[in-house]
Amino acid sequence: MARLLFWRLLRTALAVWALASGVFLLSHLEGSTAVELAQPALAELRATGGVTTPAARQALERATRHRLGLDVPLFYVGTHRPASATAGQWHWNGLANQYHRWLRDLLHGQLGASFRTGEGVGARLQQALLFTLPLTGTAATLAVLLALALAQYLAGRPRGHGLLRGALVGLQALPLFVIALGLLLLFANPETLAWFPSYGLEQATDAELDAGYQLPLYLWHMTLPVIALTLSALPELTLQLTAALEAELGTDYATTARAKGLAERAVIRHHALRNALLPSLAQLAELLPALVAGAVVVEVAFALPGMGRLLAEAAAARDFPVLVGGVLLVGAARLLALLITDFLSLWADPRIR
Amino acid sequence: MALLLQGCTTKRPTERALKIRWAHDPENLDPLALANQTAIDALYLLNCSLLQADFTTNRFAPALAEALPSVRFLGDSLMQLQYTIRPEATWDTGRPVLATDVAFTLKLMFCPGLPTEAPSSQYRFIREILLDPRNPRRFTFVCTSQAVEYVQASGDFFVLPEAVLDPRGAMRRFTLAELQRRPATAAPNAVLQAVARRYTAATPGQTPARLPGCGPYQLVKWEKDRYLRFRRKPHWWADRVRPRPFTLQARPARLDYVIVPDAATASLALQRGDIDVFPQMPTREFTRLRQASTTRSNLNFYATASYDVVTVGFNTRHPALSDALTRQALAHCIDAAGILKGTELGQGQRTVGLVSPTDRLNYNDSLAPVPFDPAGAAALLRRAGWQRGAAAADGWQRNGAHGPQQLRLVMRYRADEQLFATIALQFQAAAASIGVPVSLQPTESGAFSMALRSGEFDMYVRALRGNPFMFNFTSFLHSQAIGAGNTLGYGSPRSDQLIEAIAAASTVQRRAQLLRQFQALMQQEMPLLPLFFLSNHIAAQKRLVDLHPTSLKPGFAAMAIGEAAAPSTSP
Repeated sequence: MARLLFWRLLRTALAVWALASGVFLLSHLEGSTAVELAQPALAELRATGGVTTPAARQALERATRHRLGLDVPLFYVGTHRPASATAGQWHWNGLANQYHRWLRDLLHGQLGASFRTGEGVGARLQQALLFTLPLTGTAATLAVLLALALAQYLAGRPRGHGLLRGALVGLQALPLFVIALGLLLLFANPETLAWFPSYGLEQATDAELDAGYQLPLYLWHMTLPVIALTLSALPELTLQLTAALEAELGTDYATTARAKGLAERAVIRHHALRNALLPSLAQLAELLPALVAGAVVVEVAFALPGMGRLLAEAAAARDFPVLVGGVLLVGAARLLALLITDFLSLWADPRIR
Repeated sequence: MALLLQGCTTKRPTERALKIRWAHDPENLDPLALANQTAIDALYLLNCSLLQADFTTNRFAPALAEALPSVRFLGDSLMQLQYTIRPEATWDTGRPVLATDVAFTLKLMFCPGLPTEAPSSQYRFIREILLDPRNPRRFTFVCTSQAVEYVQASGDFFVLPEAVLDPRGAMRRFTLAELQRRPATAAPNAVLQAVARRYTAATPGQTPARLPGCGPYQLVKWEKDRYLRFRRKPHWWADRVRPRPFTLQARPARLDYVIVPDAATASLALQRGDIDVFPQMPTREFTRLRQASTTRSNLNFYATASYDVVTVGFNTRHPALSDALTRQALAHCIDAAGILKGTELGQGQRTVGLVSPTDRLNYNDSLAPVPFDPAGAAALLRRAGWQRGAAAADGWQRNGAHGPQQLRLVMRYRADEQLFATIALQFQAAAASIGVPVSLQPTESGAFSMALRSGEFDMYVRALRGNPFMFNFTSFLHSQAIGAGNTLGYGSPRSDQLIEAIAAASTVQRRAQLLRQFQALMQQEMPLLPLFFLSNHIAAQKRLVDLHPTSLKPGFAAMAIGEAAAPSTSP
């Protein structure tokens, strides 16, 4: 088992490295867009002296490239430069290349500095995770627990609860932003019910309030976002688990259990559930990377800080260090989730071993 | 539970802050980089420049400087601008703000290794700074042009403290001209490196508090993507200035800028009284709230004309678009008035050129906006040598210098802008009615910049940001900027000559005359079609007074806002 774990971990690490390298190289191929976006805005009519000639613009771009560390070749080998070589010729760029620098820093635990702000990527991701994990973590836990309970309840009466099933299917069809805005307009609107705050984590949460107020305030602000996320994850988990449970309940061993005189609930809990869980474990593997990646829609709708917004904005601004750092993190979470799911499946179903 | 918690929040022990909505985090508060509009707004709270925009008059007025600079022409191309800094002006450390600080700031703009791409190109016209040996607060800029707009532009940068960044004054041994001439390939200089290191170590982009400023506010807290909290300095130097000019007003004791990316959420927060000012409100929401009885009693609504003009550009390098007649014909397919009515609910102003119609002096009111006239467009196309094929699917063809040409166009615009999409769709429909096929390419913002840069478009829709102070179109429409800022590839000797004359005009009257000619020429040549200037909408709580809504960014004067004597209770 330990050997298996070691090999799988090694494979996971290699896959994360390959993924991050791929994203690094692909994104940095578009380095000129990052340089372009870092230039004084073209849409600005005010420029006084302004950059007027192509030569001046090139000089400016060179300065930006140098500042962002994009002035060295991208990889160990490349097809362009030096000037003497004809275009399209492969040549060795040496160790002074962007990828080598990035990899070296990564091995030292550094993810580089953001193009936009110059601050360390590691610290920025950590800061965002501090907000994201409680939000997505709570929502995921709630969704899983609710799904477990609801599925057992629904599977208990295979032909009943049409309304609840219909509601779940309807909910599944709704995009997350509709759920979030609907909740806002219903429960944070002075024209309907203004029970919950409309945005953000109120500044008061870190102001000079005593701890007794801070926690309830925090929870008060997180209620609607957590409900929105839970509602969006719940139907898929529930409907899948219900269907799996119903299939298991039609099998011979379930009939035998019933013949033994077990109540339906006991049949589900002690016999069918463990077998029905296998496909749901695969769904959990989907959920874990989402915990880390954040929920950009909910973060935007409720004005919460977090990974989703950070990564979306980094992508829009071509802030590659932040983007690659985020991909590394999310990719690692996904591959770890797959690993965990594999081991959970082994636990749930001895036949797989 | 909810009611109980609501009760908790009312017990907030902190003083009341003025809360203003921002859609984005400023991300970087570096006073040299000036990353975006929100960053600039924040930096005006922390720093001072010699001249600042006075929102009551929409002109530049003295801030750190005692008065507008005195102007002296030298020969036929140089200009001297003499400034004196206010004697009251001090840094947070208590040291006076001196001419040496101004000289240092200008030199810092040319210090390699710092994010100075924007200011180094913008202030290159200041060739030298001469300090007055008798008065440490007086200095003279030597400028390389006699243009009237350089007088104001010369004072529009944040002055930084020399004593903190260069305590030994090592940069003083360089002249400004030397630093400007320094080639990018020059060997690194120890002095410049040390200054750059010190500047970078202070990380002004992230921790502006480490660099003492001379502005009225201090950044007390900055939670990324959540809020920025500014507190008024209890003893700011300008409190001693009598009479207090508008540019040195700082009334709110606490300013909180809260980041709420979604407009619908921000609107809810405004209605609940959780935020006080909502600038740049979407037109539809603004109109809806203004008409709703519940919000009308609690909120004040302000609309001002902005200097942002929506334009349609033509890639004049495209063989089919290289002649003015074809461009004029296509311009007749855009229903600017209808779009303004449909999307902006009639707010905003149609225009004939890149100068705002509110600018009475410079706007060419003898020109008429291009009418929406598809039939006229077809006639113009015929005059341009195009012939419509026999079948409807054939479209328009003509024989150019390099063989037969077909009139089919690709229109690009930023995918996230609903207004641009509407314009593009309207144009596509009108063009189709006269047999010109147009394919639309909504493009992601970064990719859009690149497409413009590399000329991968036939037409585009975008908004250009302007201001009432400067009319320098060199980097945008001059033929020497083709391959740089001139993405349209347009240029003619006549337009180049006019652009140069406008940029160099030494009197306001002369410049106005030239600008009117320029607008007429642009309408005739039609490298781009300015459609309308957008309107700027602000909604604020009723208890707030003195917002001074203005056409200038950010649209109101946050530092001048006060509270009415008897505040009404928020809902």
